[in-house]
Amino acid sequence: MLVANRGEIAVRINRACREAGIESVAVYSDVDAAARHVRQADRAIHIGPAPAAESYLQGERIIEAALRVGADAVHPGYGFLSESASFAALCEAAGLIFIGPRPETLAALGDKLAARRSAAGAGVPLVPGTFDPIATETPDGVEKVAAEAERIGWPVLVKAAAGGGGRGMRRVDDPAELAAAISAATREATASFGDGAVYLERYVEGGRHVEVQLLGDDEGAIVALGERDCSVQRRHQKLVEEAPAPGLSRSQRQAVHALAVRVAASVGLRNAATAEFLLTPGGDFYFLEVNARLQVEHGVTELVMGLDLVREQLDIAGGSGLSATVLAAADRAADPTRHAIEARISAEDPSRGFAATPGVLGRWREPGGPGVRVDSGVEEGTVITAHYDPLLAKLLVVAADREAALARLRRALDEFEVGGVQTTIPFHRWLVDQPDFATGRLRTDLVDRAWDPAPLWRDAAERAIEAVSRLASTGDASTGGSAAHAASRVATSADAGAASKDLWAETARRESIYRWP
Amino acid sequence: MVVERDPAEGAEPQDSRHPQPTVRKLPDSAESRAAGQRRYEAIVDGWVLHVTVERADRARLRERAARAAAAVVRHAGVTVRAQIPGRVVRVWVEAGDTVGSGQRLLAVEAMKMENEVRAPRAGVVAAVKVSAGQTVDLGDELVRLE
Repeated sequence: MLVANRGEIAVRINRACREAGIESVAVYSDVDAAARHVRQADRAIHIGPAPAAESYLQGERIIEAALRVGADAVHPGYGFLSESASFAALCEAAGLIFIGPRPETLAALGDKLAARRSAAGAGVPLVPGTFDPIATETPDGVEKVAAEAERIGWPVLVKAAAGGGGRGMRRVDDPAELAAAISAATREATASFGDGAVYLERYVEGGRHVEVQLLGDDEGAIVALGERDCSVQRRHQKLVEEAPAPGLSRSQRQAVHALAVRVAASVGLRNAATAEFLLTPGGDFYFLEVNARLQVEHGVTELVMGLDLVREQLDIAGGSGLSATVLAAADRAADPTRHAIEARISAEDPSRGFAATPGVLGRWREPGGPGVRVDSGVEEGTVITAHYDPLLAKLLVVAADREAALARLRRALDEFEVGGVQTTIPFHRWLVDQPDFATGRLRTDLVDRAWDPAPLWRDAAERAIEAVSRLASTGDASTGGSAAHAASRVATSADAGAASKDLWAETARRESIYRWP
Repeated sequence: MVVERDPAEGAEPQDSRHPQPTVRKLPDSAESRAAGQRRYEAIVDGWVLHVTVERADRARLRERAARAAAAVVRHAGVTVRAQIPGRVVRVWVEAGDTVGSGQRLLAVEAMKMENEVRAPRAGVVAAVKVSAGQTVDLGDELVRLE
């Protein structure tokens, strides 16, 4: 099988292939020649230069590669070509099995507006909004859109019809900013998806993002495998996901699972997909969209349900119906007995608006121990470029209940050591101690409202200076230090130099220098 | 922010809320060697920090000089630099414009996201150093405010 992806998800899929006894073939761009997903595969094929548009998005080149090595199937992972109906169709035309939904399903779902229409047809409740793309070219276009927004109610979200991953999405509170938001969203959508069509949806204040994992087979059987809460987001990009969604009643779980299956059936879904819903503070579920692929956060469902979703995908693509394990899991999907949480570890600086932090990974130490799983695609020395998604790894924990899972996540985050490149780890350390998060009072605007990195960063800078000046002061009378953080140089000065009373701590710090080449 | 530590004070008790910091020596550059500075990378609570260490008397001198320079800079204006490498997709201001604190100056696209660059304080745009479509590197000069 050829894995048409890179990074952690390619590693994840390679693992499932290896366990299933299936030979895996990696593809790689110039900068990924020595990457983990390449070394791990049985074979690897070069497909072009670093920019994704010239390598991982080159559908025809990837199919050519698959045919050359005699592959039977192509797994697209997520992102890149995973939801491209034309790529799926090209695979089938070339006699390759595309691990995912049928091309016509992808075409119907890829257009979020078409998905909205078919969900409405199936009687599934929707967020108030438009069913047609915004026409901005016409002279009175802007006025018409403003009138639509008035009808829907402020604030509104401008969303890309071909969107995903928060790209091409803008919240607008002020009618005066609507036109600018629409053109920004259109440009982002054009750059990311090659399709600039956008539409409007009401922004629901205090809402939660709840999604349902689905699996379907060739015969049309579709089951729901529990839900996930993905409310912890920043600029509509998920940061933390968990399963099950905290605080739902059994009947609420059953209701949202049934809605998801109904949407999936209306579009003839096959293989793995996720139906996303907005849960309002009043307890209503509104359908948002279907992601017809394996999700980044599929692992939390695997940990709670005791499944390997990629393995199930392979079996379904091989023509088997839904397995007995899957059917049994679906039966108890509304009565979860475990809790799993995932933290996305990305090369982003949470103290500077989560800006990307390209660079070279110096240190990379993953946590371990009971109930901890790390899906990663990097290692020490990996060069993080701006060409690809900044996701480095997913830290997943599972425990008997949410409280135990949180304690486990806190412990695992303390063990996770990454140097050379700033990651989102400090954000996650802060999050697990947030009262609203710890008690399960989730809402999608939690991060925007409460995340204030400055005091945390200052505290860390003080502690860094202290640790370093202790180390560096041996022999010298006294030392001063200043800590800096990427581009923002902060004037911090320490006057240290006292001999430490805690000999073990000092020794440990000194030793760490030598242990770390 | 200045952190002073009493030389008589011992190490703080180990705090279970924080893992031990991890410290690594960074290679010296000719410049830092000449200035008597050593550079370290410290990982503290997941933050990756670069710490420059030098003798305390030198550090005090340098801080005083930096403060004086900062005071001059405040009068001379402020340079807005790229915080991420990427491509400039839009420029909303031009030289001579008066901008308020927090007003949008331009948008830089990186990893397929548009990031708005806003004015750090109110002022008059002295120069716009980039144009739409241009690729910028970390630290490149974008806009000068007077």
